[in-house]
Formats: sequence, structure tokens, C-alpha cells
Amino acid sequence: MSTFIQTLIVGLRLGSIYALVALGYTMVYGIIRLINFAHGDFIMVGGYTMIFTIPVVLALGLPAWSSALFAILICAVVGMSTELVAYRPIRKRGTSMTALITAIAVSLLLENLAQAIPAIGPNPVVTSQIFSTGGFSISGVTMEWTTVLTIVISAVVMVVLYQFTQKTRLGRAMRCVSEDKEASILMGINVNNTILLTFAIGSGLSAVAALMYIAQYPKVYTTMGAMLGLKAFVAAVLGGIGIIPGAMLGGLIIGLVESFTTSYVSSSMADTFVFLILIVVLVIKPAGILGKNVGEKV
Amino acid sequence: MNKKKLASLLLVACMLVSLAACGSSSSGAATATPAASEDTGSTTGEVITLGTISPNTGSLAAYGAAVTTAVDLAVEEINAAGGINGSQVKVVNADDQFDPTECLNAFNSLVSQGIGLIVGSVTSGCTSAITDAANEEQVVLLTPSATADSITTEDDYVFRACYADSFQGAIAAAYAKQSGYTEVGVVYCASDTYSKGLYDSFNAACEKYGITVKAVESSASLDVQDYTNQFASMAKSGVPFVYAPYYYDVIGPYIVTQARAAGYKGIIMGADGYDTTPDYVVKGADLTAFNDVVYTNHYDPADTDPKVQSFVKAYEAKFGSTPNAISALAYDAVYMYKQAIEKAGTTDPKAVRDALADTSAVYSGVTGTFSLDDVGTPAKGASIISFTPDGDKLTTKLVDVVKELPAA
Repeated sequence: MSTFIQTLIVGLRLGSIYALVALGYTMVYGIIRLINFAHGDFIMVGGYTMIFTIPVVLALGLPAWSSALFAILICAVVGMSTELVAYRPIRKRGTSMTALITAIAVSLLLENLAQAIPAIGPNPVVTSQIFSTGGFSISGVTMEWTTVLTIVISAVVMVVLYQFTQKTRLGRAMRCVSEDKEASILMGINVNNTILLTFAIGSGLSAVAALMYIAQYPKVYTTMGAMLGLKAFVAAVLGGIGIIPGAMLGGLIIGLVESFTTSYVSSSMADTFVFLILIVVLVIKPAGILGKNVGEKV
Repeated sequence: MNKKKLASLLLVACMLVSLAACGSSSSGAATATPAASEDTGSTTGEVITLGTISPNTGSLAAYGAAVTTAVDLAVEEINAAGGINGSQVKVVNADDQFDPTECLNAFNSLVSQGIGLIVGSVTSGCTSAITDAANEEQVVLLTPSATADSITTEDDYVFRACYADSFQGAIAAAYAKQSGYTEVGVVYCASDTYSKGLYDSFNAACEKYGITVKAVESSASLDVQDYTNQFASMAKSGVPFVYAPYYYDVIGPYIVTQARAAGYKGIIMGADGYDTTPDYVVKGADLTAFNDVVYTNHYDPADTDPKVQSFVKAYEAKFGSTPNAISALAYDAVYMYKQAIEKAGTTDPKAVRDALADTSAVYSGVTGTFSLDDVGTPAKGASIISFTPDGDKLTTKLVDVVKELPAA
């Protein structure tokens, strides 16, 4: 029983990080039909921002996690600049394929740019302790505070984000643009600003994911976003890309599959199962678990 | 979006990723050129060029710095003392990024510059990618620290300055036996030459010493960040001793703290990959987790041996930090080359190879006094070292020095 609970906890904390990252993929995809491959690297940007700002906030007498505020800010700026500099001009001229390739280019650009900055370089850095150490015990399983916070914070963020898209004007605008761009313009929605806002929120979320990630796995390196981003993307597709609850569901499923494979099948087969599940789900339900098969509008 | 479009987008993405991977790896491979044996003949007055290959960038960059600094120190000392056979020594370094493909590129780039004597590479994974090429090109490869058994064979151009994993893994098993543990567990990386090799030799030695390997867990790659389930399984099986051969960048931030959180309280033992872990622990974390973490290493910087102390002092004076084991081995490797070149009387790779292959030659270095065996691996002892938390830092403490393996 304790093995089961332990495995469940590891799965939930991995899953909630994947879910937060997957939200960024899904939001951008939902609104401009672009798979933003650079999203994983925004996490790296967030991670390094925190590495550099943690000493500053500690010197100011603030807790280490408050550096995430800087990370959110920087990530949002990086996300919006990517949209303004790379994606928007290409969306105007090229096809969705050119945009996709640009996304991959931006991803590699960010990774290599980070390596080229002397203060970052190619070597991994270990962070400071973000949340307080210790935890509590339930039926023989230690729950660390970091794990509890990871799960709680991502649950809160997901609920807030969902409510935001359902209830607020801006959220509704985002959903309108995602539904029908031309009609949104006719309804008086500023499409470009809405897309920019989506990028800001999505990238800001990646900074929150970075906080959760390095609190749990305290190593930051330039390619850290690559595998994490890929798994989150799988999560988004699995849940139904473009659908916010789908990203949450997909993220949690991927995390749990990874953890339970490690515990009950073979510890070296975790990734094999993650990608196998993607293939199986896409074969059975190509639009993802929560996705609906809608015909393309002509 | 319909499914066709999504599927094609996914395919394109996959293709691009794999293409990108190809692009970066094949770039240097085409520059392979033979002609390494041009620099034959007398050495007096000429400049001897040594090549070095090390992971200067990437996740094991600390090892790269360890090699380049120690080699610089050794070469500086040799040149100040009149060089080798009257020739000054020059070093050309190449970066392998802890990537086997990049390692081959680095090797080819050195060979194309006419270099026939190479110190490198640091890790078993990278070195095993270039041993065949070294034999083919007839270039001498003296690795400071690649411990995998498969690296050196008889009648080849590959030698090393460190002991092999069959010894290192067995030392760990002997330590477990000596400490009175009869049941042990292992967590290792299934896809890494070094980790897998150590697991195999530890396992074999356990059988020899009558120790039961009760639980075995693995990780799929060195990029895995969560080891909680593996160590929860160790805790559940009740073993008091776990052998976990990983590198410092996994041990420091991930394994030890996660193992303790998963309820595993026993000994965690590793190998020379644990060296430099104190630089990779989380600031402000509970370092008492590192109690009962021990590892086998090549030397102890606190050793009172005058050779060790003069090296440690010279290194500290030049670089301002205590040299790690990789530094000590790289330093020894340069002096092994010096001795071999002096004996051969030339820098011709073939002659130097023959000099190194002579099993009667005795090398007296920082990491001990030793001869090479038939396959080119030194017969020497290991230090067993433990971590001790000291305030917000981690320090190391010598537990034991094992000169040779105890009988079963």
C-alpha cells in the first residue's frame, strides 16, 4: 500500500508540472493553431532567471520562491517578443508549416543563445532550496512540503486559468479568437492583442512550472526544457490539444504513467510507455481524450 | 483541425528533431584524416604536441576543467624542468561535450592536426567511442579516468591511468562485506557504459563474497530526474546498503535527497563519479541526507604522501581550488607519457605505445606507484571516502585505503 501511495505522489507531482507546461502548449495552439516548440525552453529561461534573482530576493529578506515573480515577468516578455518578432510576421506571409518550423528554430535558438551567454554557459547549475525542507508522514510515506506545494499550486493555477477563460472578458475574447478569427474581428475583438496576451499568460505559466520544477529537481541547464517540453506536448496532444482541461488531464496521465511504470513494470521503461500511450490514444481517438472531431470549416 | 493535418505536423516535428540531431553530429566526422605518424624521428629541439580530449562543456563540465587545469600544471612543470628529451611540450585540447559522437569528432580533429599522443577522454561512454579509431589510426590513447573494463585490451593503442571498473565495483562489494552487510541493493543507469559496467562488476563480486543482491532498480537514461520510486523500492526490500553508480550531477541535486525522502536510510555507495559532488548540492538543503554516502576514489587530497602534497599545493597555488581525482589522474597521465617518451627516445606513436605496453615499467604518481598490466590498466589501490555535512557545505573524509582486493 505504501508503495502505491508513494508512486501516486511521485506521479502527481510529475504530472502537475507536465500539466502546467502543457497548458502553455494548448493555449497557444488553441488560439493560433501553432505548436510552440519553444515553450519548453521558456522554462529554461524561467529557471535561469530564478538562479540569478534568488540571491537578490534573499538579500532583500524575501523568501526564495518570490524570485518566481521575476521569472514570470521575464518569461512573459520573452514569450511576447517571440510572438512579435518571429511568429506574427511569419503567420502573415507563410503557411502553418513555416510557422511550425520557425517554432523549432526559436527553440534551438534559445538553447544555443543561453549557452553562448558567459554567465550561463553550458554547465548545469544547482539552485538553492526554494521551499522549506521537511514534510509529514502518511501511512509510512513521507510527503515533502515541496511536493505538497507543487501539487496544490498547479491545481490552483489550473482552476484560476480555467475560470479566467470562462468568466472574464479577456478570457472570452481568447476563446472567440480560437473559435473564429474573422468573426472575432467583426465583433470588435483586437485579435493581435488577444494573441499577444495568450503568449504572455502561456509563457508566464512556464515560469510557474519552472518554479515547481526546480523546487523539486534543483538542477538548471540549457537543454532542460527539451525533454520536459516534449513530454508536456505529448500530454497536451493526449488530452486533446487546444482544450484547457485536456492539458491538465493529459499532464496528470503522463506523470502517473511514468511513475507507475517505474514502480510496477520496469524502471528503465518509463519513457517507452509514455510515448506508447501517445500512439495508442492517437490511433483510437485522433483528437485526444477530450477532443472532438470537428470538420474543418471552409 | 483534422487528424491528417495533426499527424503530418507531428511527423514533420519528429523529422526536424532527428535532422537537427544529425546535423550537429555529422559535421566533424567528415574531417577524419589519417597521417598521424608523420612526426617520427628525433625529438630534440622540436616541440612535442600532446592532445587532450575532455568534456569542457555539458553536464560533466567540471571534469573537463579538472583535466585541462591538471594537464596545464604538469606540462608547465615539465617544460620548466627542461621538457621531455630536451623538447618543450605543447597541449592541444578538444571538447567532447560528454557526447560519444562529439568525442569522435574531437579525436578526428586532433588526429588531423598530426597529433599521435592523446590524453583522453574522461568518461567511459566517450572513450569507448574512440578506442577503435585510435587502433585504426595507430594513435596512442591514454585515458586518465575511463574505468569501463572494455576500454583497454591486449595489443592495442589504449592505456589508462586509473583502475578498471571490475576492480572498482569489487572494492565496493568488499567494503559492503567488511562492513557486515549481507543483503544489498543496486540502482543504476541501464543506458550508460560506466554505470552499467560498475553494476556488473559489483554484482559479480557480491556473488564471490557471498552477498545477496536483493533488489535491483534502474533508470532509463542519465537525464532522468526522479529516483524516488527506485529508492522507495530499496526501502521496501529492507536492504541497508545500496550501490548507486552515477555521476555527481545526479547524486548532488537528485538521488541522495530523494532517496532519504523516499524512506531509504541506509548506506548509499558510489564510485569515482561522486567526486566533486560537494559543488553540486542544493544551497540551504538538509545536508544530513549525505551522511552514510560513501564512494571509491583514486586518491585523497589530504594524503600526507609528499608527492600528493606537492601536487595539491602546486595546483591550489595555480588554480585556487583543491584538485579532484580526475585532475590527479590527468596529471599522472602526462607524467606517464613523459616516462614512456623518454624510454622510447621518440614521440613516434608506435614506439611510445610499445614503451607503455611494457608491463615492467613502474610509474610513481600522485595516485600511487603502479605498473600497467597486460591490457594497459594500472594495478593500484582505491581510497574509500565519505561525505560529512559541515554547516552549509559538504566535506569529504577518508574512510579506508584498499590496496588490493580481499580474498573471497
